[in-house]
Amino acid sequence: MSRRLQGLVALAALGAAALILIAVELAQGARDYGELAVEDPCTATVSAAGEGLDATAQQILLDGLNGAACELGTTREELVLSFEPELGADIGWDRETIERAVRSGLLNSVDEAEERGSLGGLSATLLRELIERAPLDLLIEGGGQLADLLN
Amino acid sequence: MSLALLPARRTPATAHQLALAVAIALAFADSSIVVLALPELYVEFDTTIPRLSWVVTAYNLAVAVAIVPLVPLARRVRPGALALVGLVLFFAASIGCALADGLGPLVAGRTVQGLGAALLLAASLPLLIALDGSSERAVSTWVTAGTIGVAVGPALGGLLTEVFDWRAIFAVQAPVAAAALLAALHPRSRWARPDAAAPSGVLPVAPNIGLVLAFAALVGALFLAVLLVVTVWDYGPLAGAGIVSALPLAALAARPLSRRLTASLDVAGGALLLAAGLTALALLPSTNPVYAVLALALSGAGLGLALPPLTRASLGGEGDVTRKGVFSVGARHLGLVVGLVAVAPVLAVALDDGAERATQNATAVILDAPLPLTQKLPIALDLYREFQAAPDGEIPDLTAPFEERADEPAVQEVGDSLLETVEAALTRSFRSSFALSALFALLAGVTALAFRRGRLNA
Repeated sequence: MSRRLQGLVALAALGAAALILIAVELAQGARDYGELAVEDPCTATVSAAGEGLDATAQQILLDGLNGAACELGTTREELVLSFEPELGADIGWDRETIERAVRSGLLNSVDEAEERGSLGGLSATLLRELIERAPLDLLIEGGGQLADLLN
Repeated sequence: MSLALLPARRTPATAHQLALAVAIALAFADSSIVVLALPELYVEFDTTIPRLSWVVTAYNLAVAVAIVPLVPLARRVRPGALALVGLVLFFAASIGCALADGLGPLVAGRTVQGLGAALLLAASLPLLIALDGSSERAVSTWVTAGTIGVAVGPALGGLLTEVFDWRAIFAVQAPVAAAALLAALHPRSRWARPDAAAPSGVLPVAPNIGLVLAFAALVGALFLAVLLVVTVWDYGPLAGAGIVSALPLAALAARPLSRRLTASLDVAGGALLLAAGLTALALLPSTNPVYAVLALALSGAGLGLALPPLTRASLGGEGDVTRKGVFSVGARHLGLVVGLVAVAPVLAVALDDGAERATQNATAVILDAPLPLTQKLPIALDLYREFQAAPDGEIPDLTAPFEERADEPAVQEVGDSLLETVEAALTRSFRSSFALSALFALLAGVTALAFRRGRLNA
């Protein structure tokens, strides 16, 4: 084999290696890697991990957020980030509208939880009172304390 | 310089040539040598990223701007004297950079270093010819020093930063410049005399355009890849140097192959490999460094193939070799500046989008985490505080809330997933910039047509 032919073979091998590397990357999911991975809140189905009251509380919270996000035409994640202006998410609604949508979403998910039988009548009534009256910030932070109490 | 002025006895002055070749390689390496030390400089000088980028840009801009006006000077002043002034400037500026107590003095030092490098590089080729006695061997040494210097820059800087400190990058350059001073003072350096009356000759345009485009493409491998590995993947300077050393190693390994092929195939094949390596960097499917190493190795092989024939052709043909050397150096640094100017805004916009994606995906990870509310909410609140505490433009320390709860495996799993999610979104942000660099590489490959037509010899 002449030196030139050896060189051509080596160059072709390097070219083939490049194509293989790119093909492997695409096969390993390069196309969607790092892409936005959030669900449509209007069709998302929530199944909170765990069991008992903690799982019920999470199910209500996540369902409620999805419902509010669907109503406002945004994602659940953007909605949560919009609670704190410093995090930089502007979903184009004023604070009042957001609060109303979140309360409405949470109330719907309490109703659904009661219908499913995962929440008793008294607990559901107490939660509705809390959702209707408590300030939004307190509601979010209070979720943790409530879960503490429930556990 | 007129080669006819060389005396008949032409035995090489090996030690002096070596000292000069190392200084030439270093002057080329300086374009990117400081990249892996940028995170350390960022912390020490408490500055912003755009201001910090001047540590890199000032040097390249100084070389690119200063070198072309040097052409008339180089035709009147002895290369030995020009190199002497350049090396003294380079020596003093290196010490100044090593002792800099603020970003301003460091950028000023880098600018003077660039001016010194411009003078040195303008005079280096005729000086090497005078020291070696053989024009062909000297050109080969110059091309090799330039190729190795460019490729080795980030890895060398990372190694010095990890083992010593960022100041070591500049401290080690002073003795290299001092050693090269001996070459500039060697009696044989007087053999290289300017000849203002010598014909300028026609400047080889295509190879210089090829160099501009190849170096614009190299911004992807030399700067973007390093930035990704160090700032997003959070590798230290030594580990970062280990990853990016794939580039110079592959460039060296490809040199024997380049001698077996024609110049047009070297340029076309090298440019295609460089473009393929940059495309592979654009399509990274994870933060696994193996993909980056392989992509950088392909880029390095492309560099090792394309750069020597382009450089040789930029010095070829009839006419003044000093002038051609100056334009060849100018084309390289102009390419780096063009690449940086083109890529920086693309990356800035993509990083903004990436940060938004990262925040949303990270929020989804926390909301859907298989943890009880009693763990989930405190973690979410701690993360929020980390976001608030992080300075503008910096990635918040997302690991801190999870380190406090290190004894809970489920929490650690969520922490790992969160970090992966953020790194994935930010890694994707580099995609368009790598793709732009790959486009520059493909355009550099087009200049191979000029070789095919037989108009150029390399």
